[in-house]
Amino acid sequence: MTDTAMAATALGKRFGRRGGWALRDCTFRLPAGRVCAVVGPNGAGKSTLLALAAGLLAPTEGRVTVLGTDPASARARVGYVAQDKPLYPQLSVAETLRVGADLNPGRWDAETAERIVSAGDLDPRKKIRSLSGGQRTRVALALALGKRPELLLLDEPMADLDPLARHELMGTLMARAAQYGTTIVMSSHVVAELEDSCDHLLLVGGGRVRLAGEIDDLLAAHTRVSTATGSTGPTSEDGSPDSAPGGLPELAPHTVVESRVTGRQLTALVRPAGPLPDDWRTSTPSLEELVLAYLRNPQAAPLTPAEPEEAAV
Amino acid sequence: MTTLALSPDSSKTTGHAPGAGWLFRLHRPALYVWIGIVAVLAAGLVWLWGPLTDSSAAAWREYNEFCLKRGSCHYDPDAIVRYKDVYGYTTGALTALPFVVAAWAGAALFGRELEHGTAQLAWTQGLSPVRWLATKLIVPTVVVTAGTGLLVALHRLMWSAGDGRIDTAKSWYDSFTLHTNGPTTVAFALTGLTAGALGGVLLRRTLPALMFALTCVAVMRVLADQVMPHLWPAVTRVTSLDDGYRSSGLGVDSGLVTATGAHIADPGCGPTSVSSACKTVYDDLDATGFYTTYHPESHYWPLQLTTTALVVAVATALAVAAFVLLKRATATPTRGGTEASV
Repeated sequence: MTDTAMAATALGKRFGRRGGWALRDCTFRLPAGRVCAVVGPNGAGKSTLLALAAGLLAPTEGRVTVLGTDPASARARVGYVAQDKPLYPQLSVAETLRVGADLNPGRWDAETAERIVSAGDLDPRKKIRSLSGGQRTRVALALALGKRPELLLLDEPMADLDPLARHELMGTLMARAAQYGTTIVMSSHVVAELEDSCDHLLLVGGGRVRLAGEIDDLLAAHTRVSTATGSTGPTSEDGSPDSAPGGLPELAPHTVVESRVTGRQLTALVRPAGPLPDDWRTSTPSLEELVLAYLRNPQAAPLTPAEPEEAAV
Repeated sequence: MTTLALSPDSSKTTGHAPGAGWLFRLHRPALYVWIGIVAVLAAGLVWLWGPLTDSSAAAWREYNEFCLKRGSCHYDPDAIVRYKDVYGYTTGALTALPFVVAAWAGAALFGRELEHGTAQLAWTQGLSPVRWLATKLIVPTVVVTAGTGLLVALHRLMWSAGDGRIDTAKSWYDSFTLHTNGPTTVAFALTGLTAGALGGVLLRRTLPALMFALTCVAVMRVLADQVMPHLWPAVTRVTSLDDGYRSSGLGVDSGLVTATGAHIADPGCGPTSVSSACKTVYDDLDATGFYTTYHPESHYWPLQLTTTALVVAVATALAVAAFVLLKRATATPTRGGTEASV
């Protein structure tokens, strides 16, 4: 049994009584101590999911638990940085950190907060309204880390940062995660941004969880195959790139995420249900390939083990 | 709310909740501006209360004693005008104060924070939304009540000092003085505050929240004026057709009394002592006198206090609505708080 940092059961959020569902039927479990990437296109529901976990929104249906309790009760132990990095524009950097201390009595780690800010060559007397996007991100992260969170929720944290600052802040976050066992959940629509640092993945698309699990397990569960179509299937004459391989019986036992036929060549990304034929060429997909394949094929069966046994280390 | 964070598995949390220090840090300029406004108005009222009332009263005494009776005099018309002007400015400013509070609450205290996400920032900094709202209502309530209360008290003292001594002084039932002399003005200011909270939580935008709060205070003022005369039993006085209306106070109703004692509408002819032609009009109507239903000055405090209670009740309802909305929109602790991790 592992500690759960965050878990959702049939979680759904609809904005307005007649609005569309921003998130629906979302079930997953994130073990504690992981660095989890929440990936998906713009408008996929990533921000909604993080805001629900932070207790900023009340779910329309289902529920989410963080650190073993409901988001409202876990408030003091959860750090959150919103996508647009809201800060009080009229305050100086130093005053902002003092507000952080005011708001987190007994928990505030002034040293950490000041270290993060000073690493960015920020004059503490500078007003927030005069900061650049990257500098704002730094102050927002300092506020979130200053409260010594056990779970850190970051919505598109690195979007405003130059590569150098991104590298440096990511390093700070990873060191933190390693040192204190802080669980970090960060969203992005740029997969490459997260690939090196994350070990858990939550792929959100169209308001639903498409993939959830350890990145290594997810990659291992999928195989890229390519093979000659042999006795050319009746439906693949046109060579349409994304057509479901209804006429290709040899793929049938496996879960097909994506397949395309080019000439006599069939390439596909599958979740093998059993041993694959020896004459197929197989390779492990990259994380980006995996994510893109799922996003391109909304009809592909999601892989979201509610209780991933393999995750229980 | 202080016990929310104290679920069994969060024993690492030292459980005292944030105080109000952050609020003063965020709104220090507004606090200074408020203190400035109150200080300037208080100084104006004290000036009016002492020197201006005395000089104006002296000028009126001089005028009534000498100018009217003997035809030669040296009275000081400037003193009279200065009193009137400063009275108008201070009373107008005090009347406007609830609107200033409403605009600030709707825009700066609530609307802007919810629009730009700094409210949400606070909610993820160990301050629950309910506590955030409570702090933002309680502390300004104390500050606004203290400031407005002081000004209203000074206005009352100032007005009383001039009452009966200055011929052009405003009556107690003058539509502005009626409120600036009593706690209804404080209640209007508190309505502005809670309307700002509701507008902010409801609309989550700066300008709409500001407009909402201002509208609420304006509507509240109009309603209070409409309702006030009916919150306390009024007095009815009947005068002869010769005398016409002879009562002064906060009017509720007036007209003619017929021989049967019925109250009917006044055709507007006036007392028969002024125009004898009216006699036939009144004879046709079978009228025997004029009646006025009104509140004499002795009803001032009952009227003020009942109206204040009513306005405060509305302000409280607005605050409750803001709390309910906020609790529904954000995560609230479930009963029990904790749950075994799977």
